[in-house]
Amino acid sequence: MSTAIIYSFNSNKTAKAGEKIVEAIGKDLKLDVINAEEITEEQFLSSDQLILGVPTWFDGELPNYWDEFVPALEDLDLKGKTIAIYGLADQVGYPENFADGVGIMAKLVRDRGAKLVGFTEVDNYTFESSHAIEDGKFMGLVLDQENQARLSKKRIDNWVKDLKAVFK
Amino acid sequence: MTTVPQVYSIKSTPKETLEKWFRLLTIGRAIDNKAPNYLKQAIGWSYHAPYAGHDGIQLAIGQIFEKEKDHLFPYYRDMLTAFSAGLTAEELILNGISKATDPASGGRHMSNHFAKPEWNIHNVSSLTGNHTLHAVGAARAIKYYGEKAVSISSQGESSLSEGYVYEAINGASKEKLPVIFAIQDNGYGISVPKKDQTATRKVANNFNSFKNLRVIHCNGKDVFDSMNAMTEAKRHALEAEEPVMVQANCVRMRSHSNSDRHELYRSEAERNYVLDYDPLAKYRRMLIRYERFTEEELAAIEADAKAIVKTAHKAALKAPDPDPESIFDFVLPEAYESEKYPDGLHEEDGEKKKLITGLNETLKAEFRHNPDTFIWGQDMANKDKGGIFNVSKGLQQEFGIKRVFNAPIAEDFIMGTANGMSRFSDKIRIVVEGAEFADYFWPAMEQYVDSSHDYWRSNGKFTPNVTIRLASGGYIGGGLYHSQTIEGALTSIPGVRIVYPSFADDAAGLLRTSMRSRGMTMFMEPKALYNDPKAAAVIPDDFEVPFGKARTRREGNDLFIITYGNATHLALDAAEKLAKEGLECEVLDLRSLVPMDKDAILAGVKKIGKVMVVHEDKVHSGFGAEIASIIMEEAFEDLDGPVHRVGSPFTPVGFHRALEKAILPTVDKIYDAAKKILAY
Repeated sequence: MSTAIIYSFNSNKTAKAGEKIVEAIGKDLKLDVINAEEITEEQFLSSDQLILGVPTWFDGELPNYWDEFVPALEDLDLKGKTIAIYGLADQVGYPENFADGVGIMAKLVRDRGAKLVGFTEVDNYTFESSHAIEDGKFMGLVLDQENQARLSKKRIDNWVKDLKAVFK
Repeated sequence: MTTVPQVYSIKSTPKETLEKWFRLLTIGRAIDNKAPNYLKQAIGWSYHAPYAGHDGIQLAIGQIFEKEKDHLFPYYRDMLTAFSAGLTAEELILNGISKATDPASGGRHMSNHFAKPEWNIHNVSSLTGNHTLHAVGAARAIKYYGEKAVSISSQGESSLSEGYVYEAINGASKEKLPVIFAIQDNGYGISVPKKDQTATRKVANNFNSFKNLRVIHCNGKDVFDSMNAMTEAKRHALEAEEPVMVQANCVRMRSHSNSDRHELYRSEAERNYVLDYDPLAKYRRMLIRYERFTEEELAAIEADAKAIVKTAHKAALKAPDPDPESIFDFVLPEAYESEKYPDGLHEEDGEKKKLITGLNETLKAEFRHNPDTFIWGQDMANKDKGGIFNVSKGLQQEFGIKRVFNAPIAEDFIMGTANGMSRFSDKIRIVVEGAEFADYFWPAMEQYVDSSHDYWRSNGKFTPNVTIRLASGGYIGGGLYHSQTIEGALTSIPGVRIVYPSFADDAAGLLRTSMRSRGMTMFMEPKALYNDPKAAAVIPDDFEVPFGKARTRREGNDLFIITYGNATHLALDAAEKLAKEGLECEVLDLRSLVPMDKDAILAGVKKIGKVMVVHEDKVHSGFGAEIASIIMEEAFEDLDGPVHRVGSPFTPVGFHRALEKAILPTVDKIYDAAKKILAY
């Protein structure tokens, strides 16, 4: 199975988190690292397993580079793909839309046939509402570098450990 | 992401539509970027609020607006909205550099306030969100006259902190009006961030519990999301006949305006973050990415845009500047002229009617005369109740709830929606009971003042045709908020006629003239006289009193008393007392304060030489000061002594009868003052 991680190379925190995830995965999986700013339909379809870096911008939006890819994504058949999503978000500054980007992307890819993995517990976050929650869990890994930077490494390590169990 | 139907998308929208939008976005942005240069070159545009970052929603607002049918109220950042709605590049620049041919105001209103009233793109205030009430008023007219149209109020998210915006939304919800509140959220009110405005970041969600109000969120930076949101908003407003609020998440790529420096309060990271989401750049990337246009095609459009802006710039620079001689144009529109009663006098005999009866019967007569007449206010109509003092009793029963109705207890809403409804058609005449009592009118002052500017500010293109009735003055033991009169504070504001009758016939005649005239009239009713036999008079059925015509209520040669309102009767009683001593006073009832009958005043001064001004309001900065000054300046040689003023002292009006008596003018106070002047 081929695996890729896609995040914006122009971003700061999302890219750094992506690098940490790559580091944590180590040599257990062969991982292509792709720039989300230039993502094409072909690149997106070329891997069986995907890790997407999807931060939340403003009051609950996808970043522009993902938003611009949505019309293409809407026409893709993602059956057979396994997708995990991580996203940076700010629970103090934006408690009403905490990590909405993760939820928006998760539903987009699942609606087109992808299998979502890497759901995480909502414990130890404080916020009001989030489109990223389903059945009491985040639909991916949520990192808050603004307010809980010290927890990020452990959260990434635990998440990657879970991913390794499902990614082949 | 929105939950509205996806009518527009990058893949399915026709190429000619995409091209039209790209042209609008490109030309608009070019002018937005160029605007600061006009200031640097001292040409103009000293106020410029850049719209960059609001491109998607502004394009969409303009695109769904149908000129001469819908009503659009753009705010001071809405350059692209106005351009997308149909204004030309040249018209935008004419406004920016305040030329006489600027379609919004001919250089009278601040730059960056784009309008074209003849298309229903309305000229609005700088006061943030003030026009929300106007949009609701226009929507009320749309609904009443059965038009298939919408009213659109466009504004920043910070305006939702204003109380009158709440009043507007509440009213639209209550009346189920076809109005769209387009909230352009860029996160700041100048430098004040959203967190300092309200607890809810998505401020439109504060209104989620309003009945009949649909709330839609969209990405105001994205052309397609904005177009889909506004298209759905208009469809819903038309089909469900309900208000819709669209909150568009935008970014402010620049400072608030050219007098603001956002680097003082926004970090470099934040400034770069918002620049990254340049909506125009995003739209351009998508046109290329999805192969709807080639790079060469877009470059050609961009070259065209550059040429269009250059041509518009040259034409606008050649346009004439406003003429300083024109400053007196459009302060007030022409008043109704009475052919039968040119001086507002009559010789009718018959049964006397009370002042309240004169007002009630005139209201009814004018409602029969003009089917486009409306009245609303607090306590206006509920079964047998008709106005706080029953002046409007029976009106709703005869003319129906659509023309005669209660307003919420919200004075600014009463005033502001009157202004807005007037904008629908010049044939409409509106009467409002502006407040329960005159000194409850203060919450409506922002609308009163703003409305007073409208005719002048729009260069004569719009005037609110509104008569504001206020039960005024004391002598009823009401104290603060029930026994004060407020004309002294109002007469310094140009753009509104102010009348203050003291007899039933004059009240009826002035009300008829007010309701037949274009423009705003403040109609002050001395409530103590509503049922007082002293104010009763014979009233011809068709009586009319022109504005600015005083009436001599008693002739004499020893002392000239100029007065109005409640004080007329006090002055007449004092004159009667003096007559018993052989001293004859002439009593002139001004009836109108704005305009004032200066000829009658100067003629009386010339005839008698000793002058006293009597009014109920405070002497300090009261209207008597204006009268006295005019006499000093224009009739000093005719005076036979100093002009004396009698009125209230510089205190509020007290509630206890003893306090009220000590404060308000009385017959004795006038008598004593008269004796002093006569002895001079």
